[in-house]
Amino acid sequence: MIVRVAGRAIVADPRLAWRAARVEAMNTPRGLKAWLAVLSVLVFIGAIGAVRSIFPGDKGTATTPTFEWGLLIAGYVFFAVTTSGLCLASSLGTVFGIERFRPLEKRHAILAVLCLVTAFGVIALDLHYPVRMVLGAAFNPSPTSPMWWMGVFYGIYLCFLLVEVWSMFWGHPRIHGMACVLASAMAIIAPTTLGAVFAVVSARPYWAGAFTPLLMLATAFVSGTALLGVVFGMVDRLHLTGFERAGALAIPAIRSLLTLAIVIVACLVARDVAVGLASTDPGLSAATRALVVGPLAVPFVGVRVVIGLVLPMALLVMPFTRTALGLFGAGCLTIVGVFADRLTFVSAGQIAPLTATSGVVSAPYAAYTPSLVEISILVGAAALIALVYTLAERYLDLRESDVHVGFALPVSLGAWWRGRSVPAGSAPAAEPLDSEPVVVEPAASRADPEPPPVAAEDPAQTFESSPAGPVTTEMSYVDEPDQDELPSEAPPEEPLSSGSLPGGEP
Amino acid sequence: MIERPADDDPSLTAATPEANPAATAPAANPAATAPISRRQVLKLGAAALPCLLGSTALFDWMTALAAEPSAPVDPIVASYDPTAHSWAFVVDTRSCIGCGQCVVACKQENGVPLDEEHTRTWVERHAIARDGSVSVESPAAGMYGFPPAPVLAGATEHATQATQFVPRLCMQCENSPCTAVCPVGATFRTQDGVILVDEQRCIGCGYCVVACPYGARYIVPAGARTPTGVAGVADKCTFCYHRITRGREPACVEICPVGARKFGDLTDPASEVSTILREQPTRVLRPELGTKPRVHYVGLLGEEIR
Repeated sequence: MIVRVAGRAIVADPRLAWRAARVEAMNTPRGLKAWLAVLSVLVFIGAIGAVRSIFPGDKGTATTPTFEWGLLIAGYVFFAVTTSGLCLASSLGTVFGIERFRPLEKRHAILAVLCLVTAFGVIALDLHYPVRMVLGAAFNPSPTSPMWWMGVFYGIYLCFLLVEVWSMFWGHPRIHGMACVLASAMAIIAPTTLGAVFAVVSARPYWAGAFTPLLMLATAFVSGTALLGVVFGMVDRLHLTGFERAGALAIPAIRSLLTLAIVIVACLVARDVAVGLASTDPGLSAATRALVVGPLAVPFVGVRVVIGLVLPMALLVMPFTRTALGLFGAGCLTIVGVFADRLTFVSAGQIAPLTATSGVVSAPYAAYTPSLVEISILVGAAALIALVYTLAERYLDLRESDVHVGFALPVSLGAWWRGRSVPAGSAPAAEPLDSEPVVVEPAASRADPEPPPVAAEDPAQTFESSPAGPVTTEMSYVDEPDQDELPSEAPPEEPLSSGSLPGGEP
Repeated sequence: MIERPADDDPSLTAATPEANPAATAPAANPAATAPISRRQVLKLGAAALPCLLGSTALFDWMTALAAEPSAPVDPIVASYDPTAHSWAFVVDTRSCIGCGQCVVACKQENGVPLDEEHTRTWVERHAIARDGSVSVESPAAGMYGFPPAPVLAGATEHATQATQFVPRLCMQCENSPCTAVCPVGATFRTQDGVILVDEQRCIGCGYCVVACPYGARYIVPAGARTPTGVAGVADKCTFCYHRITRGREPACVEICPVGARKFGDLTDPASEVSTILREQPTRVLRPELGTKPRVHYVGLLGEEIR
């Protein structure tokens, strides 16, 4: 059986597919294989934790009624809010059209979808009855609850993100433009609402208050920018797709953004600590003391402030670390700091106990140590994001372009859609797949290894859409020589079409 | 950065119509292609919807099976009219001796787990020092009473001025944070003022647990003792709703040997709670939050009891 996809005949034969997979595996560089193997093991460990945690009432978590929200909630907040930060940072390119942020376009969208889906997965594992949540939120809406609004907004956000990715890769610029604007708007609304989930809890003075949504938004900005810094540091380091533009435009842009974001967050954190220490509210002052000198001092002062704010700032501003590698390091440290921030934020709200049912002489602080199940779920979730993103980096076309090419695997769906879009006369509607690929000028020009200054001038062409537009663009990426993203040892990729397979015909 | 020509709009939306006529093709020529795709979309949707609903219903059914279902007694009897009552609770801390029988009775009556953290009611001992600081303890939720001499942090530095036992339970707030924050409306207030949890609707998110200023809620752990037969849902004191709707008192009130716990109907001006609230000074816990508790305390010492 021969499936015609994107003008190519692909033989749908399991043996050939297996052979193609083997060829692909042999052509994969050893370092990449090791990296994927490590990530797969971590994902497997996370899957074990996930299976352990699906039993209602017996989830294997270490939370108690005194400390009901633990590591999984912190992880959910981390992933969900990072999603928004990715969109906030890249919206400067996608929405406002600032040139130097254009390289962020595709990578941010893939990361955002991955982070948000992972966040949903983590929160589903934290809930005892996740299915009821979906049904209950739909059929028993509770508009007084910020959590309900958060679910609504993040659900809508995911839809917009999916439309954004789809329109980007299948080439629907009009839809893509609208999706970018809407997704960026949701990137502000959603984390603000997530902050409101905590901010309305007047029983927990450390969470309550008008500054919590603001802090959530600011930390969203910093975490998303830091993640982009990590990714683009690697893009530059490993000479992945589009590294010339990344080095010339994206990395300086991300560095400026990250510096700004860290300054904003540092101001807000300083305000939090100052107000908390000076407060007469017992719950607030106890929580802040726990952060500064109490049991949370190491994660807060050591990790959140020093590792998460001071060191990245130093890396960003010192002249000899103003490199791609310096940005990579700053991004990693900032992400660690943001995660510590999520953990200390969730913990500090509950650390001043409300009751004395812990059974001992009234302890000044409630205690919580995450269980292995919780840790494994979060490690697996992070590894899953890294794993899928690595595969996306290897197999998807991540060149920035207004004229996007299709996914490798589900291309038939894209071709179907493109077939609809073909004006009458330009291609037969019945066989849209046979239409000839049109060479996309901007993409081809960007593939040239020009020096950065020249590449910086290139974008003038970038925004000129091809005359043929996205309509008949095909999987041309398999023919591009620069697709092999890993360093010099990486051999050229083998396209998974019948032409490249030995014995391609049955 | 180079300057772009004025007509070269970076926005995809603006750049498309001229450069990419195909993108506007469906609008220009809808008749040629649209019906097929619409049908396909509708087919896909028609196929996906029952699958989605079926799988979610199946999963919910399976999780309900896994939660060891039991046959809880219907809490509302046919003859009971919730609009004719307004329940209230009064705790007399002057009388309480800290025996803990109320905690035992509650756990026995409602099938509450026997550990100290998962409990619907508990008893605290507050030791008030001369400088006004309060030390609180509640060993095993007060279930087995208290040791004779309080071993309290700082008790030697700050001589204890007074001690009191403070029974705690859900305050059944009229302005309740738990009902406000529940994302699926699983916790609700009845017309007679009692807050209940629908264990078939609760998702176990724990939001009500962290939002309750009184620490009165917990998520039911899986095990032999589950008040409603469903693990993983929020649970709390219900004023023994299955009893009061049948004309009886809550178990803790009935068992209290010294009458420190009093329960009654505010719509009856002659009831004991109405009389106490009318004639004696009473306090509620954490009034600054504006939750308007239905549990009132008589004889509470100390400036602030949290």
